[in-house]
Amino acid sequence: MVSPVKIWRRQKEKREILGKEGKVISWTKIYIAPNDFKNMVPYPVVLVELEDKKKFVGQLVDYEEKNLKFGQKVKAVLRKTRNVGQEDVIPYGIKFKPI
Amino acid sequence: MKIIAFYQTKFGELWEKSLTSLIKEAIFGVLKEANLEIDQVDAIFFSNMMAGVLENNLHTSSKISEIIGKNIPIFRVEAACASGGIAFHLATKYLSDNSKKTVLIVGAEKMTDYSPEETTLALAAAASGEEQEAGLTFPGLYALMANFYLQKYHYSEENLAYVSFKNHFHGSLNPKAHFQNKLTIEKILKSPYVAYPLKVLDSSPISDGAAALILTNDAYLIKKSKYSVSVLASEVATDTINLFQRQTFDEILATKIASELAFKKAKIERKHIKVAEVHDCFSIAEILAMEDLGFWKKGEGGKNIKELSTQIGGSDLTVNPSGGLKASGHPVGATGVKQIGEIFLQLTKQAGQRQVKNAKYGLAHNVGGSGGTVVVTILGS
Amino acid sequence: MVGIVSYGFYLPIWRITTKEIASVWGKNYLEIENSLLVQEKTVSSSDEDSLTMAYEASSLALKNFSEEKNKIKFVFFGSETPPYAVNPASTILAEFLGLKKDYLANDHQFACKAATGALIEGLGLIKGGVFDYGLVVASDKATAKPHDALEYTAASGAVALIIGKKNVALEILDFFSFSSDTPDFWRREGIRYPSHGGRFTGKPSYFYHIHQASTLLFEKTKLKPKDFNYAVFHMPNGKFPQEVAFGLGFEKKQIEKSLVVLHLGNSYTASALMGLVSVLEVAKKDDLIFFCSYGSGAGADAFVFKVTKSLDRVRLPFTLTAEKKKYIDYPTYLKFMGMI
Repeated sequence: MVSPVKIWRRQKEKREILGKEGKVISWTKIYIAPNDFKNMVPYPVVLVELEDKKKFVGQLVDYEEKNLKFGQKVKAVLRKTRNVGQEDVIPYGIKFKPI
Repeated sequence: MKIIAFYQTKFGELWEKSLTSLIKEAIFGVLKEANLEIDQVDAIFFSNMMAGVLENNLHTSSKISEIIGKNIPIFRVEAACASGGIAFHLATKYLSDNSKKTVLIVGAEKMTDYSPEETTLALAAAASGEEQEAGLTFPGLYALMANFYLQKYHYSEENLAYVSFKNHFHGSLNPKAHFQNKLTIEKILKSPYVAYPLKVLDSSPISDGAAALILTNDAYLIKKSKYSVSVLASEVATDTINLFQRQTFDEILATKIASELAFKKAKIERKHIKVAEVHDCFSIAEILAMEDLGFWKKGEGGKNIKELSTQIGGSDLTVNPSGGLKASGHPVGATGVKQIGEIFLQLTKQAGQRQVKNAKYGLAHNVGGSGGTVVVTILGS
Repeated sequence: MVGIVSYGFYLPIWRITTKEIASVWGKNYLEIENSLLVQEKTVSSSDEDSLTMAYEASSLALKNFSEEKNKIKFVFFGSETPPYAVNPASTILAEFLGLKKDYLANDHQFACKAATGALIEGLGLIKGGVFDYGLVVASDKATAKPHDALEYTAASGAVALIIGKKNVALEILDFFSFSSDTPDFWRREGIRYPSHGGRFTGKPSYFYHIHQASTLLFEKTKLKPKDFNYAVFHMPNGKFPQEVAFGLGFEKKQIEKSLVVLHLGNSYTASALMGLVSVLEVAKKDDLIFFCSYGSGAGADAFVFKVTKSLDRVRLPFTLTAEKKKYIDYPTYLKFMGMI
C-alpha cells in the first residue's frame, strides 16, 4: 500500500506535468516487474523531455509498436499507477500517450 | 595504510547460510588469512543494502558485536550497490584519523530467502519514487541507458553480449564465483528480455555472499604480514538519484569525477592500471564504466569490447577477472568489498588460474543504483 | 441566460466488437447487432477509471474556457462507477485540475442520469447568483456480468460541462425532471456487477419516464417536436432512443446525429451527453436541441437547449476523434476491465 499521506503530498508535483507535451529521449520495455506492476507486463517506459526542457519518466500507454522510437511526440496524461490492495487509497500519476 | 588480507565466501544461492552466518564466515575467514585474532581489530565497517527492507534486520553493529563477542565500534554503511566501496572508503578515513589501528571491512547480502518479485522491489529502493511509480525496475533504468547508447553510437545488442561472454569466461576460472559456466554470444542473445534491450544474460544475478578485508596502518603488523597492498586512492562522487535529472544518458558522471580524483591522488596514469574490477551490474554498465573511467574513448566501448582486449591475456588491461558482477555474482553489500579484494589477490599473486601477469597497479570501481554514488579505489603493490 | 459555456469529452481508444463478444459465447453476432443496434463499444484500459476519464474531459473543457479557472466554484461528479464507495472523486478531480480550495464539491449517483441531475442543481446555483461558473462531469467505466446482455453495450466515456451565465454557448431554456421508485436496474453495496429486471427495463422504466419528462416539458414550454432541429435521448442501445423519439413525434433525421451508441456503446452517465457532443459538432446558431436523459431507479431529466453564436468559439470535433480507435479481443477486454 502507498501511504495516503505520500499520495496527498505528491499531488502538486503531478499537476505540474499533466497535460504537457514532449518527446521521447529514450525508452525501454519492461518484461519482469515487481508485484505492483506485474500484471501490466510487458509495458514500455519512456524518458521524456517536456516542452519546458524538464525531463520525466513514465509508462507509455495507448501505443503501437511504431511509437517506441526516439523522438516520438508524447503528452502527459493521468492514469492509475501502481496496483494496490482492494482496501488501499488509489494512486494516480503521470503516464505518457503518443500524439 | 595497507590491505593485508582478504576473504570471501562462495557467492551463489546459499540456502543453508543466513545473513548472520555469512557475516561470521567472512569475519573469521579474513582473520585466519591475516593470521590475526579478533582482539587485534579496533573497528569494523559493515556494508549491506537490503536486510532492513527484506527481513526487518537493522542495527547490525550490535548484531556483529554479538557475533564476535567484543565491544569495539562497528559502523553500518549503505549506498545501494556501492555500499562495499563506501564502507572501505570510510574505513580509510577512520585510519587517517587514528594511528596504529587495524580495521575490518565486511560486506554481506542475503537475497535468496525471498521471491524475485520481493527482491526486485527491495532493489528498487535504490531508485527514486518517481522512477518506481513509472514501473521502472533496476534493469529498466540501465535499459534506458543501454538503448540510448546503442542508438547514439550505432551499436546493437550483440556488442553488449561480449561483456557477459568475457566475464563468464573469467568466472569459469574462479572457484568462488556464482557461475562457473562459459557462455556463447548466441546463448546470450537468445536469452529472454528483462527490460529491452537488456536480456537475462546481460544482467547480474541475485546472489548471497559475504566478503571481508583487513586494512591497517599499524607498521608492525604490516611488516609481519605475508601480503600487503597499498591504498593509493579512494575517491567518492555522487549524482542525482533520478536518471532523468542527469545531464546525459550515455555516461555516469559520478564515475568520471571519482576516477579523475583517484588518478590525481594516486599520481599514476590510466596506462599503469593492468587489472580492474568495474561495476558490471548490466552489460552496458561495464561499457560505460570503461569509457567514464577514461580507459576508452566515449562511444568506442561497443566496438572495443568486441575485440575482447580486456579478457585475460588480451592486449588491454584485464577487466573483471573475478567474473565481474555478472559471473561472480552480486550479493549487493558484498560486491564493493569483493572487488577490492580481487585486486588485492591480483597484486599479491594469489589469483590462481585467473592471475593477471605483472600487475603493479589495480583499480576497483563500485556504483550505487543507476550512478547515484560511485567509489573508485586504486591499489598498488 | 444560463447554460453551457464550454465542454469537453473523453473516449478511450480501445474498442471491442459485438462480433468478438458473441463469438466467445457461440452466439450469432448479426442477430445481436440487429436487436441492439450496437456494433462496437469503447473499453477503457486497466489503468483508467471514471476519475482519469473525467480529468481528461474536464481538461478539454478548460482549454476552451476563456475565464480564469478558479472562477469555477462548484465541481459535481456524476457516475455509477466512482473510484470509491466513500471518498469524493469530485475533489480528486478538482485537485488535479489545479482549482483553488474555495469550491463546493459533490459526488452524485443516479444510474445514468447522475450528471444531468447535478446539472439541474448547478443551474439553480448559477441562476440564483450564488456562483458564476461550475463544472459538471459525467464519467463511467460501465461494467457488465460476462454472458449478460449488458456485455455488448456497457462502455466507457466522460463528458464535462462548464456552466455559467456569461459567454453561454448552449443556452438552457428550460428543463423538467420526472422521478419515481422503479427498481429496473440496481447494484447492491459490495456487489461487483449490476442486476436488472430484463424486459422491465423497457416500457415501465425507460420509456415511461422519458415519455413523461418530455411530454411535461413540451407542455411547460409550449414547444412541439417539429420545433426542434435535433433530439438526443439516453442510449442504452440503438433501438430504445429511436423508439422513444418516434413515439414522442420526432423524426429519424432529428435524432440521427446523436445516435453515437452504434459505434461507442453506452457510457452510462455520459451516454446522452455524448450524443449531445456529437450534435454540437454541427449545430448552428439558434438551433433548438431537445435532450432527455434516463436513470434507472428511476427518473428522467428533459432539457431544451438553444445554440448561441458563442458555440463557434468552443465547438469540438467529435466524429474524427471517435474514429481514432484500436480493436481488442475478449481476453484483453477482461484484462482491461479488471475481471482477470
